[in-house]
Amino acid sequence: MSELLKFFVRYSSWFLFVVYVIAGCVLLFSGNPFQHHVYLTSANEVSSGLYRATNSVTSYFSLKEINEDLQRRNSDLELEIYRLNEVIRGYHQQAYADTMTVDSALSRYHFIIAHVINNSINRAHNYITIEKGRLDGIEPEMGVMDQNGIVGIVNVVGDHTARLISVLNPYLRLSCKVKGHDQVGSLVWDGQDPTEAILEELPKHSEFMPGDTIVTSGYSSVFPEGVPVGTVLSSTRDIEDNFYTLRVKLFTDFSTLSTVRVIRDNMRHELATVEKELEIKNIE
Amino acid sequence: MSKTTLQFMLLGFILVLAQVIVFNHICLFNVAVPMVFIYLIIRLPITLSLNWTLTIGFFLGLIVDIFSDTYGMNALSCTVLAMLRRPVLRLYVPREEDLTRPEPSMLSLGTAAFMKYLLTMTLIYCTLIFIIEAFTFFNPLQLVLRIVFSTILSLIVMLGIDSIMTPRSEKRL
Repeated sequence: MSELLKFFVRYSSWFLFVVYVIAGCVLLFSGNPFQHHVYLTSANEVSSGLYRATNSVTSYFSLKEINEDLQRRNSDLELEIYRLNEVIRGYHQQAYADTMTVDSALSRYHFIIAHVINNSINRAHNYITIEKGRLDGIEPEMGVMDQNGIVGIVNVVGDHTARLISVLNPYLRLSCKVKGHDQVGSLVWDGQDPTEAILEELPKHSEFMPGDTIVTSGYSSVFPEGVPVGTVLSSTRDIEDNFYTLRVKLFTDFSTLSTVRVIRDNMRHELATVEKELEIKNIE
Repeated sequence: MSKTTLQFMLLGFILVLAQVIVFNHICLFNVAVPMVFIYLIIRLPITLSLNWTLTIGFFLGLIVDIFSDTYGMNALSCTVLAMLRRPVLRLYVPREEDLTRPEPSMLSLGTAAFMKYLLTMTLIYCTLIFIIEAFTFFNPLQLVLRIVFSTILSLIVMLGIDSIMTPRSEKRL
């Protein structure tokens, strides 16, 4: 017995080393980021508190660029208002106004404004932390966008903070399409340039030109249809491959991310229930 | 609790803060990320038992992991680094009895030996962390660039920290 104890004491550091390496590997290969525990991510209270404090200083740094983006977006929206006013006037003139009903689709989505308190762009898997959480109505798998375009999807939610999977993370695949066409491809980041992503699996009969806008397809309840994503830079297609692969310049500037909108889909639970029922029926 | 223990706790606290607030967000030319918190593992006294070194390494890595959402990556690399510390030091300083002070520093090892030790440790760490990161996409050229330039950048930053850490009165000796 004492020999055994001596053996353990003598090689204790090797045992400890093995234990730590196994613990590290278990964390590392636990795989799916949706299963990460909230205490081991940046959404926990200590790290989000620290990032909140840092952010209260650093959020001033890129105000100028953000301001310019907002101005541009604002002017776009003003133009839109003018255009819509024209349309409304047209309808008024035709005296149809009293017979028109409000489109119920308009109230389907709802925005929650949140500030980014931590963000990375230089890793292989990038995540973003925001300062709104479950108590503000945020749930996992909600889409997030900023004034320019898509940002990511919520995955871990704390009471007052949440962590998003950034578009700059290969775990995230988004169904997107070329604006004005219906063929859908899947957007994924290739880990190289934080301003560019890849649109894969676009059917070979799709039509597009470099410079065309890419938008979300709306085939899931995460993003509504038509949220801007980026513009086409170039395309490649293998001879035997039936799909195009496009290089996309992202609209969102991830290096100066500050205020984002979390998209709440009011029909989401209804859709999920319907889809589940269908699945059960199919199995039966 | 002795003065040295307190000093090292303070150093660790400052290094982790600096890493997660400042250095994690630096990425020169899209390849070079400075990894400075390993300076704590490099400076731990050589007389400290291996069990303690491993424990400090693992938890230091885990704390940085929590802040930067890397989930186990730094914890694993730091544990391996802590294990390799003594063999690396033996490469450049064959006789530990020659050390004037228990902590490896420019003063106790001499400039050349300490530089070699620092470079080897940083290179090991950067290689580990970027290879673990590369499990998902393998791009050999980018991987090598990342390792080489991150090592250089981390080394420069850590030499800067080292020059702040060493008191002036000792330098004159």
